[in-house]
Amino acid sequence: MWPFIARSLEVATILLIAAVGELLNQRSGVINVGIEGLMLLGAAAGFIAALFWGLIPAFIIGMLIGGLFGLVHAILSTSLKVNQVVSGMGIWLFAMGFVTYWADRYSGPLPRGVVSPRIYELSPMFFIALIIVVVIWFILSKTHLGLKVKSVGENPFAAEVSGVKVIRTRYLCTIIGGMLAGLAGAFLSTTYLGAWSHLPTKGLGWIAFALVMFSLWRPLILLGGALTFGFIWQFAISPETIYAGIPAPLPLLRMLPFVATIVVLTIISREKFRRKWALSRPEALGEPYIKE
Amino acid sequence: MHREVGRGEAILEVRGLTKIYPGGVVALDNVDLEFKSGEIHAILGENGAGKTTLMNILFGVLQPDRGEIYVHGRKVRFRSPLDAINMGIGMVHQQRKLIPAHTVLENIILGHPEAGKILDFKKVRRDIEELCRKYGFKIDLDARVWQLSAGEQQLVEILRALYRGAKILILDEPTSVLTPLETEAFLTSLKSMSRQEIALVPFVTHKLPEVFAISDRVTILRRGKVVKRIETKDATMKALAEHMVGKEVLFVLSKPKVSIGGEILKVENLSAMNDKGLLALKNVSFTIREGEIFGIAGVSGNGQQELAEVLAGLRRVETGRIIFMGRDITNASVLERLKMGIGYIPSERLGVGVIGGFSLAENILMSLYFDKEFVNRGLLNYKKIREYAEKVISEFEVVAPSINTKAAYLSGGNLQRLVLSRVIPKTSKLLIANLPTTGLDIAATEYVRKRLLECKEKGMGVLLISDDLDEVLQISDKIAPIYEGRFVSILQAEEAQKEVVGAMMTGAYSER
Amino acid sequence: MTSLETLKLKLERVPVVSGGQAVRISLLSLVFSFIIFSIFLSIEGANPIDAYSNIFSFALDPNLGLPTTLHRGLFLLFSTLAFVVAYSARLWNVGMEGQFYLGTIGAFAVAYSLPELHPAILIPLMLLAGAIFGAGYGALAGFLRGKLNVNEVVGCLMLNNIAFWLVYLLTVGGPWAGIAESTSRPLPPNAHAPIISYTPFTSYLAIGIAIVLYIFLSKSVVGYKIRVLGNSPTAAQHIGINAPRTYILVMTIGGAIAGLSGYHMWAGDPAFLMIPRPEAYKAIGDLTYWGLIIGLVCLLNPVAAIPTSVFIGSIMMGSTVLVRRLRLPFGLDVLFLGLVSITFAAFQFFYMYKVRRMK
Repeated sequence: MWPFIARSLEVATILLIAAVGELLNQRSGVINVGIEGLMLLGAAAGFIAALFWGLIPAFIIGMLIGGLFGLVHAILSTSLKVNQVVSGMGIWLFAMGFVTYWADRYSGPLPRGVVSPRIYELSPMFFIALIIVVVIWFILSKTHLGLKVKSVGENPFAAEVSGVKVIRTRYLCTIIGGMLAGLAGAFLSTTYLGAWSHLPTKGLGWIAFALVMFSLWRPLILLGGALTFGFIWQFAISPETIYAGIPAPLPLLRMLPFVATIVVLTIISREKFRRKWALSRPEALGEPYIKE
Repeated sequence: MHREVGRGEAILEVRGLTKIYPGGVVALDNVDLEFKSGEIHAILGENGAGKTTLMNILFGVLQPDRGEIYVHGRKVRFRSPLDAINMGIGMVHQQRKLIPAHTVLENIILGHPEAGKILDFKKVRRDIEELCRKYGFKIDLDARVWQLSAGEQQLVEILRALYRGAKILILDEPTSVLTPLETEAFLTSLKSMSRQEIALVPFVTHKLPEVFAISDRVTILRRGKVVKRIETKDATMKALAEHMVGKEVLFVLSKPKVSIGGEILKVENLSAMNDKGLLALKNVSFTIREGEIFGIAGVSGNGQQELAEVLAGLRRVETGRIIFMGRDITNASVLERLKMGIGYIPSERLGVGVIGGFSLAENILMSLYFDKEFVNRGLLNYKKIREYAEKVISEFEVVAPSINTKAAYLSGGNLQRLVLSRVIPKTSKLLIANLPTTGLDIAATEYVRKRLLECKEKGMGVLLISDDLDEVLQISDKIAPIYEGRFVSILQAEEAQKEVVGAMMTGAYSER
Repeated sequence: MTSLETLKLKLERVPVVSGGQAVRISLLSLVFSFIIFSIFLSIEGANPIDAYSNIFSFALDPNLGLPTTLHRGLFLLFSTLAFVVAYSARLWNVGMEGQFYLGTIGAFAVAYSLPELHPAILIPLMLLAGAIFGAGYGALAGFLRGKLNVNEVVGCLMLNNIAFWLVYLLTVGGPWAGIAESTSRPLPPNAHAPIISYTPFTSYLAIGIAIVLYIFLSKSVVGYKIRVLGNSPTAAQHIGINAPRTYILVMTIGGAIAGLSGYHMWAGDPAFLMIPRPEAYKAIGDLTYWGLIIGLVCLLNPVAAIPTSVFIGSIMMGSTVLVRRLRLPFGLDVLFLGLVSITFAAFQFFYMYKVRRMK
């Protein structure tokens, strides 16, 4: 049972790191639907770095490339005012091509030398993820910077007249969001999978994206969501570790996380929740800031 | 009432300010102004007189093409609002620049240079409570801004500016959204601020009486030029309005004599919820007859919007009935109502009344697309549509290069003409006009009112919803003051006195 | 108006882009992506000019790449039209992938259960089933959006993943499993698409649908209603347009169009005639997202999407020579596509702004 839980917590780690980054940039008003692509890039960069230099450089390089493409998204959506969905999709499509070209030649497991440390079969990254979430929660709720971020996501025009640098704040959040997605990807390829196979994210990025919506943009609710979906994801992959005689054919189970996402989305989109949801949704989410 | 003018020192001065927009529009032409501490100096002008440009320059949003700005006699250049704020200039916007989801306190502290990295709400709270005491403001610092009334929100903006150390406050249409009671309190607090050596600069388009009541000095802009500087005590309202418009203003429209005909609309005990799920319209009953303008006077947010939407079929009825031409239409859809000849002029023009990205013809089509005459087996008959659009657009004097022009290029008054040209010709029985003149300049306002009176002459019933009491009194036959979702009374126009209606729509009536 | 003071450049808002401008901007963005890709080609030791001439001479040679170019290009057209019809109501139909899978399932289900039917009956039935399955799946996303207010981007993507596993379920060890590993049984000969000058007849079907869609959107009442809703949901409500119903409608139409591409893809290409291994059909499914890019580049004009799709198809087909003929590393072809898509996205900027140098 414990190995299964440990693996679930590692999936939760991936979701959590990626989603909390997305949460931050959404709080500043920037949607990044390219999160799956950023994770792919981070996964590829991290994997290749792990092959040559080891685990710590892998995480750092994964973060850097995620941050780089976060910057690309920031330039496109914040400065060039390209529709954020279009920009995110463009980055995702690019990432699929680039990662295939770049990393598929290294397909296969990491060599024995590069094994991530585990404490009772659980990667310590799980605890780092928790720390990241708490830090982001603290920044958003207790600091002036956090207030600025939220104000930029709610009403950039009002923020601007209060002396907040709207564009700079959005850049900052989008880059950090990208870095975290990249880190999540690097963790996925080097630690959780420990091997490279063609386009390894398999929709995890989209689940992370949906989790941000479920969380009402609050890091602590996000934590709960990530743990739940980490469990569901892992269960769909290896149900036999929970219950040996599980009858359902594998593909059917693999649909589970996605079906669950739709179910939760449907529930929170209902009238009763919607008002609350509308109140917590950053008002200017997805809208470019255009000074007239 | 008026104090002696020019006692304080000049805080802010502009010399020879000129701004020319691309395309050659001269928004400001060589404007000189001087603002002194302890003085209320109002800037008057119609839409398009250059007020917005001037305000934006004073606050650092725009840079002038020529001219200088002096603060305390020192020449300065504002590159951004932040520069202006740091020079002690505060701005109270008409479209609130606040964050609705945040608390009052958070809004005030946001971006403050001395706020510190980790926010110390306790200290800020003490400081702001101190400020409130000094100026006699009352406000709940923990309330979220969206929960506040328009007047309270204005107060938050003022507090924010003062907390930043503003010595001069620019106020954009400060009284336009306030209730009469709020206005009174607001004007008192302005007075108390000006006694504290703060310069106040209200910019005003309409609502001349309020300016009259409190200002020390008035400057009038027209087409980017200063056309008049006058001390308020030497001015009359009529003269001010003349200078603004540049011609004799007709403050009175003649109401045509029309015989009142049969019943068009009968509303019985109508109730409806607002978006927040609270009962906003409570048990309203009235009738509208042919050739009658039924005016609803009230301050925005007292259930008018909900009433208009319920009648147009946009909002669900909680209880009560709507009878139109003898038919129960309580549950009829929007489309059914449109087909029956009920027209609706929404309060928002761009995006609701018309679509900016559509051509004029496509906009006109919004009222035709369900009409058999313009449809041929599911396909639109563009030839007929164009002919029709040409006709109504010239009839309603919409100024545009062609019917293929996108509506986004039209100005405020023209946009409303386009809405009227779309709605009125297709309305046969009942016209619901929701805030039809709000935000329009004097000429366009007059035009809209004339068109409403024409509808009456043609025997239609008109439901006029307005927050301009004078407008309601001028053109309505019956007047219903609305307060907190209820009609306080229904009065014949002849017997309605302004003070009484004013008191009724602010809830002050029962106390008198 | 924004000004970049340091560069002395001025950005001017362009209220409406004309078709001519869109063409210029798109060509410019292609040139840009070709230049960037040249860098990668050089890194891999290839001569860019040589590579590009190889790409296009291969893609447009009737004896070599042209049939596949047309086939893939018009496959993209199906996806583009599926996106365009929904986006005219400003719904992001990114569910083309799932709708395509469902269309595949519908078409194959008919072919497997009625293999003896005469082609003249079987093929229309397969198309119909594909369209119905795709439409149903689109309608599901439309229903979630229209009636239950579920965000359509996330909803569609989840449905895409579900559909992927559904195909997997049927083919890999499932009831449709073939003899070869992880692929389906081949389609019966009666189901194969007739080829009319290099390309299956469904390619012409796609072109026909594009033209009909163009007329539908610009000239019909329903098309007008869709556009009003897309421009302003509030205005649409005020003139009595039923938003939920319209949302479901556009997603259904979009789903049906994307569903048709299931037959077009597998029965129209003699190289397939079955559902291939999961990675292969997933790779094709990922191509459907091009519908979004092409649709936006063409300003939602279905007719303009015809040549654009074919052009992208030629890049898609032609760049495979990089790997196969020029022996360059695997994945370089997909990288090329990725570069084209991200520059297209970036150049959307010029649909909104004009850059002027200040005097």
